[in-house]
Amino acid sequence: MLSFILRRVLLAVPVCLGISILVFLLIHLVPGDPARVMLGLQANEQTVAKIHEELGLDRPLPVQYLDWIWHLLRGDLGESYLTGEPVARAVLGRMPATLTLTVAAFVASLLIAIPIGIISGTRPYSRADYGAMVFAQLGVAIPEFWLGIMLILIFSLYLGWVPPSGYVSLMDDPVSWLKHLVLPAVTVGVVNAAVLSRFLRSSILEVMHQDYIRTARAKGLIEQRVITLHALRNALIPTVTVIGLQFAFMLGGVVVVEVIFAWPGVGRLALDAIYRRDYPMVQGAVLAVALTFVLINLIVDVLYAYLDPRIKF
Amino acid sequence: MVDRTAEPGGARARRTGRTGRAVAWFIGGRWLSMGAVVVALTVVGASLGGALTPQRANAQDAPKAGGTMTAAIGADPVNLDPHLSSAYSTFQVLENVYNQLVGLDEELQLVPELAEEWSVSEDKLTYTFTLRQGVQFHNGRELTADDVVFSYERIRNPDTKSGWAYLFDPIDTIEAPDPRTVTITTKEIYAPLLTKLASSGTAIVPREAAEAGTLEAAPVGTGPFVFVEFVPADHLTVKRNDSYWENGLPYLDEIIFKPIPDESVKQTNLETQNVDWADGVPAKDANDLMESDDVVVESIAGTAYTYMGVNTAREPLNDKRVRQAISYALDREEVAAIALYDLAVPSQNAIPEGNFWRSDYAPYDRDLDKAQQLLDEAGVGDGFELELMPAKDYVETVRSAEAAQAQLADVGIDVTLRPLEWSTWLDEEGQGNFDIYICGWIGMVDPDDYFYAQHRTDQIFNFTGYSNPELDELLDQGRTSLDDEERKKVYEQIQQILIDDLPYIFLFTTANVDAWQPYVQGYAVRPDSAVIFKDVWLDK
Repeated sequence: MLSFILRRVLLAVPVCLGISILVFLLIHLVPGDPARVMLGLQANEQTVAKIHEELGLDRPLPVQYLDWIWHLLRGDLGESYLTGEPVARAVLGRMPATLTLTVAAFVASLLIAIPIGIISGTRPYSRADYGAMVFAQLGVAIPEFWLGIMLILIFSLYLGWVPPSGYVSLMDDPVSWLKHLVLPAVTVGVVNAAVLSRFLRSSILEVMHQDYIRTARAKGLIEQRVITLHALRNALIPTVTVIGLQFAFMLGGVVVVEVIFAWPGVGRLALDAIYRRDYPMVQGAVLAVALTFVLINLIVDVLYAYLDPRIKF
Repeated sequence: MVDRTAEPGGARARRTGRTGRAVAWFIGGRWLSMGAVVVALTVVGASLGGALTPQRANAQDAPKAGGTMTAAIGADPVNLDPHLSSAYSTFQVLENVYNQLVGLDEELQLVPELAEEWSVSEDKLTYTFTLRQGVQFHNGRELTADDVVFSYERIRNPDTKSGWAYLFDPIDTIEAPDPRTVTITTKEIYAPLLTKLASSGTAIVPREAAEAGTLEAAPVGTGPFVFVEFVPADHLTVKRNDSYWENGLPYLDEIIFKPIPDESVKQTNLETQNVDWADGVPAKDANDLMESDDVVVESIAGTAYTYMGVNTAREPLNDKRVRQAISYALDREEVAAIALYDLAVPSQNAIPEGNFWRSDYAPYDRDLDKAQQLLDEAGVGDGFELELMPAKDYVETVRSAEAAQAQLADVGIDVTLRPLEWSTWLDEEGQGNFDIYICGWIGMVDPDDYFYAQHRTDQIFNFTGYSNPELDELLDQGRTSLDDEERKKVYEQIQQILIDDLPYIFLFTTANVDAWQPYVQGYAVRPDSAVIFKDVWLDK
């Protein structure tokens, strides 16, 4: 097991390196100039040139890339062009908010998807199943920014149950933390839940026709135990793969939601940085998200072994 | 839907690049004719029509001190060093932390700030400022003339790379003969000097903090509020400056600025009382909200305008008749309504209606026959292809472009739209890669602010490539003349030339809007879009 994890971590190195090259190239090749963003309309050519020189932007791209990697290897992600804030500190500072949101959205999606998946899967073609599948279709089809705004209007403006936006740290005030977290988490979670519930349904449908389910029923187990002990656990194996991918997918999905809910996360940091052509910040933020992605996939693989005793590493 | 986050400055910043809410023009012109006369506090005769006096509820109530106010702003402040930032969101905060030598009141009249009085030499080239006594920086040290000289030299030193340096181009020397006196000499007579020194980017900083390089993250000013902390994307907190130099001010104990990028979410925060004040409301909801009793929404005729910048080097736009044809083909009423609902006033001029300096010259009511005739004369009567370049982050420029696209089709001009994200837009504009761009300016006060840097040959904001020696001469004359009536005549000629030549095709002027809870008192929406909280108090 340990050697498997080690192997996977080593494999992640070229992946991250590839990502770093891609990110570096993409952000440098899109039109737009950080010096002009810094100066606004008041830019003049001499000052622009001076800033280029100071930031090293007048050097060839490969040189700039190697310079960045060289600093990266020594743990130095650089500083923001615009604010001078160290990138590592900015990214790490924003990570808790993003992870909180992603995990909460993940939990929300499981809370929605598992019951729906079980109901649909065990009672296929019933009214409940049709209803659940309509939900799933809608959930996938509705854009997050629209859903977010609608939830804010309903639960904040009309019902007044929760604040419309913002972030409070769990350490500061757990109740307020939860109140601020619910809407964005549900917004991200619903899309994910829609995908998961469909997946779980088909997977349970399949499992329910297996011999061991018939055996379980034959030995007199009540239906509830048949489902939770035998059907669900087996149905979860393929689902976990999807869950892992979905979790990473959610990391991307939170960008939009972070902007709507004024959530101080990495997604918003990256987006602002892209708009401002704050190259070191974009690179740092995307790299952090990529690393998280790789880490999550690793965890998913390890989870397989736990869920499915047939799998050994 | 994430428009507003895009530009460091957020919504209003960009349209403008915000040259600063610099510039109040000195009205009355008394001091000019009298040689070295000390100009103190009040100024005579308010002829600045754009600046209406805001109404205030319960003005007779005595202000209550104390309390925390939460203010929603459209974007994160970017770089808290006033000399290094050009972002509107930065100055929404810093206006409350720093002072300039001189300031502008809410009607854009020049008022003393750190300088309690000033005089002008007989040859009008030397300005002598006397500093207010006993002003302390937030670090406890007393302000001296050396800080003023240091701050100005810092801005104009090319190594600082300040976007505000151009304001100091006409200045020759800046000196501190004694700790309470600053003298500034200009190379030539420079009428708008005082209004330029009221720009928020010319804030006075303490030498030691600037030299320590800490101002970007931790501003130290002389203003009514002291910087406490900034958690990016979450909040920025300032607290009351107990030793502020204006007696009894400020009233609030603390202000928490919260960046909320999405406009409708910002509005919901206001309606659910999660914030006490917000910098604007969505244009489409402004009217409804103004009628609501739950929140106070006030607007004031601003000093901002939106325009089309024409690349005068490209065919067929290099022909003045083609530019005029475009202007005749536009229905500005419709453009303004589509762009900003009721918050825009159609205008053929940069200077808003009611302003002392505005010329009445406005020849371009929509006339398709006239437009067609001009196109025929220019040899493009069969139409041509044209690209409009609005800035995506400022949705009113995109909407204007869409409206113009349909209108120009009526005279056979085949318009394509190329909306660009702000950083790309700036690049393309700077390099002249456009037929016509659409943008705006904000915070103009002196007539010089409206025209000089934009239209004089080779000036820094002249992106259209327009060059007209006759206009250049008039622009110089406008700077060096110190008599208001005489100046007004000069600027009327300038406006006429520009409206005939059309390097800028002006579209509309815009109102400035802010919104707050009914218990927030003492706040005034300003025509220059500056956000100043020192007089604000909470009635609850």
